[in-house]
Amino acid sequence: MIKKTLMYIVLILFSITTIIPFMYMVATAFTPDSYIIPYPPILIPAAFYLGNFIAALSSNNFLKYFMNSVYVSSISTLVAIIVSSMSAYAFARFEFRFKEKLFKLYLFSLMIPGLLNIVPQFLFINTIGLVDSYFGLILLYVGAGIAYNTFFLRGFFQSIPREIEESAIIDGASRFTIFTRIIMPLSKPALGTFAIFAFTGFWDEFSSALTIIKSVGKRTLPIAIQLFRQQHGTDWGLIFAATLIALVPIIIFFIVFQKRFIKGDFLSGSVKG
Amino acid sequence: MKKSLKYKYRNELEVLPFLLPGFILLLIFIFYPIAKNFYMSLSDYNIFLDKMNKFVGFANYIKALKDVVLWDSFVNTALYAIVTVLPQMVLGLILAIIINTKIKGSFLFRILFYIPVITSWLIVSLIFRYIFESGDAGLINYILLKSGIIPNSISWFSNRWTANAVIWILAVWKGIGWNMIVFLAGLQGIDRSYYEAAEIDGANTVQKVRYITVPLLKPVIFFVMTNLLVGSFNVFTQVYIMTNGAPMGRTQVLLSYMYKVAFTDFNIGYSSALSVIVGLFIFILAMGQMKFMNMGYKESQL
Amino acid sequence: MTLKKVLVGLFALLLVVGLTSCKADPKPVSGKVMFWHTYSEGEEKLFLEEVLPLFTAKYPDIEIESVRMPYDGLKQQIITAYTGNVAPDVMRMDIGWVAEFAKQGILEEVSAFDEFDGLKDNFFAGSLSTNFYDGKYYGLPLNTNTKVAVYSKAVLAELGLTAAPQTWDEMIALARQLKDKDERWGLVPQGFGPWGFLPYFWTLGGNITDDKYTVATGYLNSADSVAAVQQLYDYYKEGLIGPAMFGEQPSAWDGMAGGNYLWIDDGPWYFSIIGQSAIDSTVVSTIPAGKGGSVSVVGGEDLVMFNKTANKDASWIFMQFMMEDQVQKIMAKTGMIPVTKTASSSLTDVPAYVATYIKQLETAQPRTPSANWGSIEQVLSLAIESVFRGEKTPTEALNAAATEIDALLK
Repeated sequence: MIKKTLMYIVLILFSITTIIPFMYMVATAFTPDSYIIPYPPILIPAAFYLGNFIAALSSNNFLKYFMNSVYVSSISTLVAIIVSSMSAYAFARFEFRFKEKLFKLYLFSLMIPGLLNIVPQFLFINTIGLVDSYFGLILLYVGAGIAYNTFFLRGFFQSIPREIEESAIIDGASRFTIFTRIIMPLSKPALGTFAIFAFTGFWDEFSSALTIIKSVGKRTLPIAIQLFRQQHGTDWGLIFAATLIALVPIIIFFIVFQKRFIKGDFLSGSVKG
Repeated sequence: MKKSLKYKYRNELEVLPFLLPGFILLLIFIFYPIAKNFYMSLSDYNIFLDKMNKFVGFANYIKALKDVVLWDSFVNTALYAIVTVLPQMVLGLILAIIINTKIKGSFLFRILFYIPVITSWLIVSLIFRYIFESGDAGLINYILLKSGIIPNSISWFSNRWTANAVIWILAVWKGIGWNMIVFLAGLQGIDRSYYEAAEIDGANTVQKVRYITVPLLKPVIFFVMTNLLVGSFNVFTQVYIMTNGAPMGRTQVLLSYMYKVAFTDFNIGYSSALSVIVGLFIFILAMGQMKFMNMGYKESQL
Repeated sequence: MTLKKVLVGLFALLLVVGLTSCKADPKPVSGKVMFWHTYSEGEEKLFLEEVLPLFTAKYPDIEIESVRMPYDGLKQQIITAYTGNVAPDVMRMDIGWVAEFAKQGILEEVSAFDEFDGLKDNFFAGSLSTNFYDGKYYGLPLNTNTKVAVYSKAVLAELGLTAAPQTWDEMIALARQLKDKDERWGLVPQGFGPWGFLPYFWTLGGNITDDKYTVATGYLNSADSVAAVQQLYDYYKEGLIGPAMFGEQPSAWDGMAGGNYLWIDDGPWYFSIIGQSAIDSTVVSTIPAGKGGSVSVVGGEDLVMFNKTANKDASWIFMQFMMEDQVQKIMAKTGMIPVTKTASSSLTDVPAYVATYIKQLETAQPRTPSANWGSIEQVLSLAIESVFRGEKTPTEALNAAATEIDALLK
C-alpha cells in the first residue's frame, strides 16, 4: 500500500511539471492577437477564443498540408519498419564475416553531425529525378534514419530469448519464416515504440521536406507552421494553435500503437499461452 | 570449387537479403555524405559550385585545435551530455517501472509524459524561456521567491551557468518521456517468470531492478545511452531559441558554432572538419562506454 | 464609384494597353519564372492579388510561379537548390545577403543588362549600394525600410505631452522622469546586434568605418564612438534602459502595449502587423536627434537573379516590372517603402506613418556593405554586449572589434 502511494506521488509530481508549461501554451493559443506571449504567464485563458484555431485551419492549404503529412509520415513509417527490422535482425541473429566491424561502421555513421549531409543527399535524389516527389522524400527519410533504426531494433531483437527460435530452426523453418513468424510478432512492443518514434520524427521534420519538395501544393504541415513565423513579429497564438492541432494525429497514433502493441505483455500472453 | 566457395560464404549469402536493402540506403544516404564531408574537410570548398577552391590537407583540423571559441562550445556541449544523460535515463526508467506495474491510470500517465517528447523544440524552448524569465513575475522566480528559497529573483539568462542550467532542465524535462517509452518497451520484453522466481527467493524491488531488470535491459540501455550521447552533441534548437549563445556566446554549443561557420561564414571546409572531429570523439566515447558496460558486441549476443 | 475614380481607372487601362502595343516586339519573351520570397501572409496576398495580375496582363506569355519560403534555414535552402540546379530564377532577399551570395559566385550581374543604366539613377543611392560587390551590381533594390521612434501616447500624456520630443536631451529628460516609477523605462534598444543598437550608436555620434567602408580602426574605436557607447552604458547604469535590450521581459512590443516604455524604435511592420490599435496608441516621430543627428538604420530587400536561370530575359523583365512605380506603390500599402525616386515622390494612398519613415530614410545609414557582413555583425554584437555585461570598457571592446573588422573588410 505504501508502495502504491509512493508510486502515485511520483507520478503526480511528474505530471505537474509536465503540465504547467503546456497550460501556458494552451492558454496562449486561446488568446487573441498574441504577437507577444502573455507575461506574466497566464495558465488559464481568460476566455476560450477560438480565432487562432480557425485562422490556422483556414490559412491557405493548411488542411491539404495536413493530409500530405499524414500520407508521407505513414508510408515512411511503414517502409522504415520493414527495412530497418530486416537489417536489425541481420545484426542481431546472423553470423557473418566483418559483422562486428560493419556494425561499428553503422554506429560511427550515427555520430558524425550531419549538418551538411543534406547537400549530397539532395544531389543524389536530384540525379535519380526524384526531386519534388514524395517517393524521394520517403527514400531520404528511410535512408537517413537507417543506421539509427537498425541500432534501435537490434537491441530489442537481441533481448528475445534464443530458445524460441532454435526450436523453429530444428523444425526446418527458413530464416525468413522465423523473421516474419517469430521475431516480428515477439517484438511487438519494440516495433510499436519504433513506429511511434518514427512517425513523430517524420511528422515534425521540416528541413529535408522543404529541400526535397518544391511545389507549394505538395508541402507538409511543418512547413505550413514555419510559414506562420514571420520575419518581424510572430503571432505566437497562431503558432501554438497550429502546433496543438498538429499534435492530435501523433497522440492518436501513440494511443493506437501503445494499446495495440505495447500494452499486451507478449511473453506471458502470446508465447506461453 | 564453386560449391565450396558457396559453402565458404554461406553465412554471408544467407544474411544478404536481410542486410542489403538497408545497406544500400546507408551507402547512399549516410556513407556517401560522410565521405564527401571528409573530402570537403580537406579543402577550401565552395558548396554552391560543389567544387574545391583549394586542397588544404589537414589545415582545417589544425585550425580546430587552436580555436578558442570551439573549446568553449565543446565544454558546454560536453557538460550538457554529462549533466543531462543520466538523470533522464534514471527518471525515465523509474517511471517505466512504475507504469509497467499496470498501476491504475498508467495509460493516461503514459500519454501525458509523452506529450513533451512530441512537441517541437521550438515551442518548448520558447515556453521555457518565458517560464525562467528574470523578473519577479517569471514563474520559476515567483515560486522560488514565495517559497523563500531565494531572496531575490534570478536573472537566469544573464549568467553562463544559470543559462546553461535552464538548457539542462529543459533537456531532462523533454527527454524523460522518450526514455520512459523505450524502457517500457524493453521491460515488456522481460519474461515475468524471472521476477516470479526472484520473489520466491525473497528479493525486494530494488534487488529485482538491480539483478534482473538492468542486466536484461543492457542492450536497450546501451542504445539509450548512445542515443542520448549522440543527441547531446547535436543539441542546437533549444540553445538557439533560448539564449542564442547569450551571454556573450558563453552558452554556445558545438552545433550552433558549426552552423555559424557553415552558413554565416560559408566556411564549408572548416565546418566539415569540425563534424569529423566531433564524430570521432563521440565514437571513441561510445566505444569506451561499451567496454565500461562490459558488453562488447560479442557479449551482448549471449 | 466616383467619376474621378472611373476616369483614373480608364486612364490607367489606356496606359497599359498603350504600353503593350508600343512594345511591338516581333517575338515576345515567354517562359516560366520561379520567384522565391519571404513576404508575410498579408504582403503575399497583396502581391498575388494586385501585382501579379498587372504583370500577367502586360506579359501574358510569362508565367510567374510565386513561392513563399519560411525564413528559417533559408540560406541552406538556397545552397541545396542552387547546387542541384533547381534554384528559383528570381529571389527577394535581405539587403545584407546580396554581397555575400555575389561573392560565392551564384548571382547574375545585373549591371550587365542594357536597361540597368536607365534604371540606376532612379534608385535611392543607399538602397542601390546594397547590391554592389566588387565593382558590379548583383541585384536591384526592391523595397526599403528603416526604424523610427514610436512613442506611447499614454506615457507621453502622463508626462503632460502630446507631441514627441525632437532632441535626444529632451527625450532623456523625459526618461529620467519615468525612472522613479515602477517597471517603466525611457528607452530600449532591441538587443546588442547592429540592427538593434546602431540607431542609438549613430545618433549619439558613433561610427563603424570610413565612408568607403574599407577600415574600422580609427572609426569604430574613435573618441566619438567610445563616448557614444559609454553614454548608453551610463544610461543603462542609471536605470533608464529597459530589460528588452537583454532579451528579457517586457519585450519591446509587450512593453509598448503595457505602457512600460516611453518609446521603442521599430520598423513599419509594427503597424502593419499589429494594426489599427498600434496606430491609435502611438505617436510616430524621427529618432530624437543627438550629437550625430537623427540616424536610423536602413533595412529592406533586394531582388536578385541566380546565374543558373534558364530564362534570363523573362526573369529580367519581371525584375524590372517590380521596379515600376505602380508596383512599388501597391507594395507600399503594407509599409514597404519604395526604392525609386519617382515612386516615393508621388506616393499617395499610404498610411500616415509611412511619411515619417520616408523622412527618416533621408538620414538613415546602411549597415556596412560587405560580403562578410554576417561575421562583422557577430563581432559588433559581441563587443557591445561585453560592455553592457560589464566585462569590458567601451575602449577595450571597440579597439578589439575594430581590429577584427579591419580583417573582415579586406
